[in-house]
Amino acid sequence: MIRWILKSLTSEPWHLVASVSAIGGAFALALFFEAVFAGESKQIVAYIDQSDADVWVMQRGVSNMHMATSYVSDWKADKIENIEGVNKVTPILYLNTVMQAGGRSWFSFIVGIESGNARAGPWSIAEGKQLPGPGEAIVPAVLARLAGLGVGDTISIAGHEFTVAGLSDGTFSMANSITFVTLADLADIMSTFASMSYFLVDVAPGVDSIALAKRVTSEIEKVNAVDNRHFTKNDREVAMQMGLEIIVLMTVIGGTLAILLTGFSVHSSVSRKEHEFAVMKALGVQNKMIYFCVMVYAIGLALLGFSLAVILVLVATPITASFVPQVTLQVTMPALLRFIVAALVVALLAAILPVRRIVRIDPVQAFKVS
Amino acid sequence: MLTLIYRQLRAEPIRTATTIIVFAAVIAEILMLEGFLAGLYSQLRDAVLNRGGDLIVTQAGITNFVATRSILPQMARLDVEGVDGVRLAHPLTGLSVIYERDGRRTPIVVLVYDTAGGPTDIVAGDATPADRGIVIDRSLAVKYVLAVGDRMTISDFDFTVSGISTNSAAFLTPFAFISYDDLIDFYWESDVAADIATFPLLSFLLVETQPGSDPKDVAVRIEDRVDSADVFLPKDLAARDEDLGREMLGPILGLLLAVSYGIGVLVVGMFTFTTVRGRLRTFGVLKALGFPTRSLAYLMLFETTFLTFLALPLGVFFATIIAAAIQALAPVYLILASEPAAIVRTAVATVTFAVLGTLMPLRTIARVDPAVVFRS
Repeated sequence: MIRWILKSLTSEPWHLVASVSAIGGAFALALFFEAVFAGESKQIVAYIDQSDADVWVMQRGVSNMHMATSYVSDWKADKIENIEGVNKVTPILYLNTVMQAGGRSWFSFIVGIESGNARAGPWSIAEGKQLPGPGEAIVPAVLARLAGLGVGDTISIAGHEFTVAGLSDGTFSMANSITFVTLADLADIMSTFASMSYFLVDVAPGVDSIALAKRVTSEIEKVNAVDNRHFTKNDREVAMQMGLEIIVLMTVIGGTLAILLTGFSVHSSVSRKEHEFAVMKALGVQNKMIYFCVMVYAIGLALLGFSLAVILVLVATPITASFVPQVTLQVTMPALLRFIVAALVVALLAAILPVRRIVRIDPVQAFKVS
Repeated sequence: MLTLIYRQLRAEPIRTATTIIVFAAVIAEILMLEGFLAGLYSQLRDAVLNRGGDLIVTQAGITNFVATRSILPQMARLDVEGVDGVRLAHPLTGLSVIYERDGRRTPIVVLVYDTAGGPTDIVAGDATPADRGIVIDRSLAVKYVLAVGDRMTISDFDFTVSGISTNSAAFLTPFAFISYDDLIDFYWESDVAADIATFPLLSFLLVETQPGSDPKDVAVRIEDRVDSADVFLPKDLAARDEDLGREMLGPILGLLLAVSYGIGVLVVGMFTFTTVRGRLRTFGVLKALGFPTRSLAYLMLFETTFLTFLALPLGVFFATIIAAAIQALAPVYLILASEPAAIVRTAVATVTFAVLGTLMPLRTIARVDPAVVFRS
């Protein structure tokens, strides 16, 4: 029986190629969109992820970083450090603005870090210095490539000139790129004095971050403290609104198209074999076996199409990274499972209609037709 | 030939309907992405152009209106109004804040205005914020179920919604409008900052020039006299913001669009190819009846083009309906799904690949032996 199914699948190679290509193409579209979404939604909170502070302290009324404005008096760092369970407090200044590089405008998150303190700085350097000095900036390597910048070139942030001292990896996403300068330089740009934007708090081993965050919020006036997990969640929620929602929507539309095409391809392929099934029935094959054959045939078609989709996306991923470096793609196992389950369910449903017709066929009729 | 096509399509109604729906779905997917990009750029341009003024003054070194922080010195207004050719300079301040309620957060831009730069399209309430009033973009009103008269708390400061506007969002961020009187109260009473000096009191100046003055000349004179400022024609600043949008979201959405085109046409081509292969027996009969291969090719080409043109309005309809649904649920998105240029591009791509899908099995049609068809 399995031999018959294999022969049946390959008896009309062009039809098989067309069906598999249509299913594969449609699922490749949905998988590609999903990969963009997965990659970007991870990258969009890369700074928070990589900084890995246990607790984030900010101005009261603020609970995330993306597009937010937060000011906390710098003396509060000492007060936080004195709370039991706090190991270290690292201040940063933060501004989202448009900077000029390579004759073009780039939306960027500017992070001001303490001179010589790598705690809140870039986590991976592709070229140049690890930390910025006065008048220097560490820019994302992707941005440098797109803007035609190199170490030693100049960028402008709010009218202030900076020399590119280093290029960082993993600091670019569709919603933001992260540029590092010194605290003093960013304070100058923002015209701030004795204010910080966020404190990154590292807790002592064994201390519960959530409980400590609550304690900081209650003990220090006009601040909000959030543990890392919730801070990441809050930030992703806001960042999602900067274009990622539309990718989710396009994934849904692409997925619907893929389901529609899978259903049609399987239905038409099984319908084309109706006559053969009728002959099988006339030769004494039981209905149960016919159901089994049709289901295996439908599953085979769906799996072939889906495999093609996965291959297309896996081939497209490195090509995209070379030609469109600003996009991060990530093919995840949950996404693959979600789509493959959808493909199989639709294929089986699409096969049911013709198979029900087949099992009702009078075998004599089959021979008459042939 | 038309009768033949008509009968062929009627003979297989499910296949005909499915083909049209699949083609329409592909067209709708592409139009949605095209429409999203067109809407994004349109919002970015309108955010600047709707503020009014013949010239816009920004902090020196700041070359955009959206997504940036511009701070002008308080004296800049007097300095600008003292320049020859300037009739008035209207102040405008932009603040980027996160509105949070019931655990949900939305980044918003609060525009503080006095005599110009306010909301342009009011759908409910008043255009001018009342005392402690705020005019909000419709997307905020929909998302948080806010109506005129409702309380809206930003950074622990209570505003009352006094108006709801449309065409007041850009860069996927809704705008809200308040008056300068309330800005000071907002700074003092809210948790915005411990140090008020860190927040902008003046971001932009919307300059009205004297009748008969050339705005470009006036811009040069302002830049000569006011060191702390840069001056732009509104259309130039709008173009810069549009470029910023293209720079930021263009690559990713352009990539998705390219992939949609590529896979869409592959699907359409393969679909057409399957249809042609499935009709080989019919073609054999037609050949036996004396139809030359060329006529059969024309028949298929005509049928494919006909189906694509039937699918086109349906695709536009799907895209328009989906776009309308999205805009109703999330008005921050503007999706211009029925832009003529995008429709033409999509139609040309779909027809081209449907035609290629038809031509691919042409040799098979040419080799069909009518006698074999009848024997089988």
